[in-house]
Order: sequence, then structure tokens, then C-alpha cells
Amino acid sequence: MKQRLIVTPDLCTGCRTCELACAFAHPIKGKPGRSRIYPLPTGKSEMWTPVVCLQCDDPACAKSCLVDAITRNEETGAMELDNDKCVKCMACVAACPFGCSLHDTLHDLVVKCDLCGGDPVCAHFCPTKALTCRPVTPTRRKAVV
Amino acid sequence: MVSLTINGRVVQANKGEMLLTVTRREGIDIPALCHHDAVEPFGACRLCMVEITKKEWDGWTNYVAACLYPVEDGLIVQTHSSKVNELRRTVLDLLLARCPNSPEIRQLAAEYGVTQTAYEEIPDADNCILCGLCTRVCERLGFKAISTVGRGHDKVVAPPLKEAPPDCVGCLSCAQVCPTNVIQYKDEGNKRTIWNKSFELIACKQCGKQIITRDFAEALSSQRNIPADYFELCDECHRKELSVKMGSIVSWSREAAS
Repeated sequence: MKQRLIVTPDLCTGCRTCELACAFAHPIKGKPGRSRIYPLPTGKSEMWTPVVCLQCDDPACAKSCLVDAITRNEETGAMELDNDKCVKCMACVAACPFGCSLHDTLHDLVVKCDLCGGDPVCAHFCPTKALTCRPVTPTRRKAVV
Repeated sequence: MVSLTINGRVVQANKGEMLLTVTRREGIDIPALCHHDAVEPFGACRLCMVEITKKEWDGWTNYVAACLYPVEDGLIVQTHSSKVNELRRTVLDLLLARCPNSPEIRQLAAEYGVTQTAYEEIPDADNCILCGLCTRVCERLGFKAISTVGRGHDKVVAPPLKEAPPDCVGCLSCAQVCPTNVIQYKDEGNKRTIWNKSFELIACKQCGKQIITRDFAEALSSQRNIPADYFELCDECHRKELSVKMGSIVSWSREAAS
């Protein structure tokens, strides 16, 4: 079942629990990895919002990847990056218009949100339900091309 | 699906998969320097040699490069038998004679008990093992800026005529995949230099962070149909922009509701 991570900025308090959950859900060699989700201030009356990959219908990251390392997981609907295929050219990091393809400089890896294989850990840990996950309904409106 | 035995363990694999892919998935550590999942297997470094046999071979065995050998039903594989380790030691001995100063080769050789090469070391050697991974990745990316030049002793990895390559866009993929880190580049100010060619790095309009070169961005825009203005900001400023936009959307909807 395709999943969609729903972000409700109204409810976000900027506690950064999602960031912590993400780092621990994606460990590298037993250590927390770089978080794929970033709570950032919106500049409007102390409102925060988690910034996370939108899993675009027409993704610039996959289009920019010249070795086809970023592909859609048809089961979860997430764009997933294969680190064994990645040649670290940084094309996706530069091309993503939302800045959600990230370079983990500590481990020298490119990382992005993969929806944790269909069950996003950040949504489980969000104390205010600013992040929720729900399956995409079949009657979803088609993208305007 | 085919079923084979690796180090005494029965393993399932898909038809057409290479042995190295299966062993890596099973968590068996086979050294391989010239292998990368982005490109077709090449079999240049000969370090992934394994021993194979079948029941019907009456005890006869064969030694094959795991990266190039497709899995077969009933195959019995030994990845670290004494004969295989002996083969790898010989290969590492030769590699050590070729690249005596490479820390990566030295470490791998030490793991197999080779600390000093039995052959004559090449004088003024560089660390290139001529596996051609850089040239293959460059070809896969579609730029074909570098290739192996010459034969035998004179073989080197170089751009055409050993001049600044006209097709290079400075993406650094060759340097990133090189197993012995031999390809040198320099990022200084807003200039990147690789293969004796100088490139302009795109600086983020807001914070000045540099990610890729202008030539690479132009190549991506024209080949992959990505709007050129996507490359004007860095990833961090893109995220900030998105958070501000989402804040505006929320405040609009609040105003509309009240």
C-alpha cells in the first residue's frame, strides 16, 4: 500500500523529536545517521514545520541521477536511493528544489527520506501529531501534467 | 530462483545474478576493487576469485571471478578456502609491486598476510591499479571524458591526448569511485580543478555554499530537462525556502478560515 507522510505545520512545536527518531532509524555502522527530516522555523509567529522529502510525482532527484540510483519503490511510493549504485556526483543534492536530498558529510553518503520502508518512524514519535502517515486512497487526484 | 551452496550454506538467488551480488547480500566479505553496482561487472582486479564445483564434477574444481560468474543451480562455492586465499595473496603481491605506496592496497594485502611484495616494485609508481572503474563510470554517466590510453606498460587512465578533456563537466564521480583514491582534484575559491581543467562552482545565491559545477548543472538542465534555476540555491537554503512557504500557506488558510 502506498503511503503518504502528512505534515501539519500548525501542530509542530519544533521539538525535533522527529529528527532524533530519523537519525536512530537510519543507523550507519551502529551509529545514528544523518537525519532526513528537518524541523525549521517558518518565520511566522514561532510556527515551525518539519521539512521532509515530498516524494514528488515528477522527481528532480531521479531525473538528475545519471546512474539511476534513485528509483520509486512501487510498494511504498517512496523514492529510494541505492547507496551501492550512487557515485556521489551530488547532482540530486543540487537539483532537489526542496533540498531534501542530503549529503551526509560524516559518512560521505547521499541520503534521502525512504519513508522507513512504508512505516515512517518520525510519525510514530511526533508528540503533537504534526507528522502522520496514511495510505494513499485509490481515488487520489491525478497530477496535472 | 536457483539454489546454490556458499561456504556450506544453502542460499537462494535470482537467475542471472552474479555470484558477487549474492555473496554481498548474504554478508560474506569478498574483496573487490573494480566492482561498482552502477556499472557492468568488468573483472579487472581479480580479487573476487572464488572456488566453484558441482556434485557431477567428480571433485574437480574451477576458480572464477565472482563478479562475472552468473549463479547456477547446484553450484558449490568456497569463498575463503586455502587455495582461494593463495590466489588472492598472489594478486595482492602483484598489486603491491605496482602500487607500493597505496594505503588501501597495503591494508588489504596485510589482511591476507602480505606485507612485502616478492616482486620488484615499480619505481616512481602512482597508486592506479588500472581497473578502469573511473572510465566506466564516466561512460555510464554519458560524458566519456576519460579512457585508458596505451597498451601494456604504457597503459594509463587519461583524457584524450592527455590534454584538458572537453567533455568533462567536473562532477568528481571518477575521483569518488576510485578504489585507491588516485584521482586528484582541488576545490579552491569558486574554482574546481580536475584533469587539468578548471570549472566554475555554482555558489548559492543566499549563503554561498558550493555543490556542483556550472558545466555539470548545464549538462543536467539540457539532458535531463531540469530547470536551471533549481541549481541557484543550495540544499539548506531550499529547505529554508520551503519552510517559509509552508508557513505562508498555513497563515493564508488561517485567515481564510477566520
